[in-house]
Amino acid sequence: MYRILYIEDEKEIGQWVTKDLTERGYEVTWLESGEEVDQHIAFKDIAILDVMLPGLDGFSIGKRIKRENKEIPILMLSARTAVEDKIEGLNFADDYLTKPFHPDELIARIEVLLRRYQKNDDVLDLQHLKIYTKDMRIINKETDEEIQLTGKQFYLLQYFIRHLNQILTKEQLYEGVWGESYIEGDKTLMVHIRYLREKIEINPAKPTIIETIRGIGYRVKQ
Amino acid sequence: MKFFRSLLAKYMFIILLAISIVQIAYLVIPLFVLGIAQNGEDDLSKGAEIESKVEGKWHAEAKSLKNMTEEAIVQHFESWKKQYPKASMFWVGEDGTLLTTLNVTEQLPSKWTPAFTTKFIKERYGGDPFTVIAFLGEDESNGFIVFEIPKEVFTPPIRSVYEKYGAFVFFGVIAIILFFIIISFLFFKGIRKRLLHLQEAMELRDVDGLPIETKVKKKDEIGQLEHSFNRMVCELRESKNREQKEEQLRRELIANLSHDLRTPLTKIRAQSYSISKEALSKDGKQAIKAMEASIVSVDALIENLMSYTLLMASKYKFEAKEINVIRFVREQMTTWYSVFEKEGFEIDIELHSFEKNEWQVDPIWLGRIFDNLFQNILRHASSGKYIGVETESTEHYDAFIIKDHGNGMKNESDAKGAGIGLSIVDIMVKGMNLDWDIESSESGTKIKIKHYK
Repeated sequence: MYRILYIEDEKEIGQWVTKDLTERGYEVTWLESGEEVDQHIAFKDIAILDVMLPGLDGFSIGKRIKRENKEIPILMLSARTAVEDKIEGLNFADDYLTKPFHPDELIARIEVLLRRYQKNDDVLDLQHLKIYTKDMRIINKETDEEIQLTGKQFYLLQYFIRHLNQILTKEQLYEGVWGESYIEGDKTLMVHIRYLREKIEINPAKPTIIETIRGIGYRVKQ
Repeated sequence: MKFFRSLLAKYMFIILLAISIVQIAYLVIPLFVLGIAQNGEDDLSKGAEIESKVEGKWHAEAKSLKNMTEEAIVQHFESWKKQYPKASMFWVGEDGTLLTTLNVTEQLPSKWTPAFTTKFIKERYGGDPFTVIAFLGEDESNGFIVFEIPKEVFTPPIRSVYEKYGAFVFFGVIAIILFFIIISFLFFKGIRKRLLHLQEAMELRDVDGLPIETKVKKKDEIGQLEHSFNRMVCELRESKNREQKEEQLRRELIANLSHDLRTPLTKIRAQSYSISKEALSKDGKQAIKAMEASIVSVDALIENLMSYTLLMASKYKFEAKEINVIRFVREQMTTWYSVFEKEGFEIDIELHSFEKNEWQVDPIWLGRIFDNLFQNILRHASSGKYIGVETESTEHYDAFIIKDHGNGMKNESDAKGAGIGLSIVDIMVKGMNLDWDIESSESGTKIKIKHYK
């Protein structure tokens, strides 16, 4: 069960979000101001902060949390939608969601952050694959055999899993995995994806795990 | 400003100096001449004697001569000769006979006829050599004695000074003129330099786009000008700060307004979401869905209204930079793809490289343009269940084309809400020197965002 620290001064919104997150299986500590944040931050997996708060504002609280607890992802949840606010928030926070938000979107973003900080389950079920995300062991559930990947294939899959359900462009993938600028027309990525598919897909000609999103890039969807 | 520190005072001083130099020169030259005259008394004092004096003296001595013997006359001549070594003298007797000569180089007849005498007198009158003719003794019976001396002996001292020291005086005058020219030149050069410096200061810009204050070194007219310039820069800076503060306040106000509108909207969503979790009738579910749609719509409207207000007041932040637009649009599509996918749209993306993929745009603005257009499709053209994003290159422009198969803008009953969104697109597109056009019919809408080559 994930522990969430949630700071929101609007009672109605606070109650609603707390209730919804609790129903979805999260343990939520809801504070109405940032004064007691130090006492509650320990052992939390993620912090969700409003910006306009009585006393210390959400930006200051977030910066303080980040300074002392680098491993806790922070999601800003604010009705302030100006670009300047978003930029200021994203200087330290990991995500910025504006009100009015849909609870499904909030959950999706929380999950992305948990995954990025590798706080999610060790085991990820992906169709016929079982992936132990901590050490990136991949088991084919049908044959119960472990699939061995080469270095680049391994990093490629790891990158997809960290950005589960997100569409990634060729540029993003190449730069994320190879750490170099993508040069238009470079086939390296395609070749590696083909090899990776050959290893993990049941039918590499009709891939279901690594989807090709025509005109944009690729996606691994849970 | 004190008068003596002013440029006017300096200039007047230079003029006064120039005039005084001329005046002083008038004074100095006679003194100089006198000084020379005194130093070289031997050569010049004789010459300094005036002609009439010689004439008078010659007449007087001739008249007073008692002894008319040849020896006495020769002696008389000798004594004059001592005083005037360049002089020549002769005596013509009563009957016209040339009796005695001294130092005479010219040809003289031994017998003077009245005609020759007249001619001689006529020739010598006012001529060179200076000639004095005097009768010997009390009457004409002893003939006359003639004294001749070259005119140069009587040359006025100033002329000899000019002759002797001419070059010196000439160069002295040139030097004085040069001195005055140099002083004037330096004076005006100084003024020019400071004016140019001030002009430079006016053209230089600090990081905040304002001119830099200049150092005031002197308290004259230019110094005052520099001082005024500094004061102006100061006022400009204050005014700019004030403007920035106002801008900040305006942004703050809009941000707060937007915040205050969104908070209740979030509460409405919370309530509707809670209701949707209850067991609802079909109509109830329909109502909740409509409510959801309205929340999204109002949210977008608030956002657009805020942006529009800022844009109209030119207060929307704009920072253009060169970005790869193909890559940018592709990344933009990654977030919208899932949204359209969820709504069951057919998504058709064909992004091909342009000849030049780098456009000078503000990525936030460009993102906002695409967001607004996609939102419009989602809200007003979802009946077509189709979205196409493609590139087009022609001879004149590169363009992104966004297509939908909705009912077209004119036929959309609730498309009015799209107005403000499209106004923002219009301002932003034009603000980035791009162009756009819309083709809308009953079978769909096609929007082109063009970048002219």
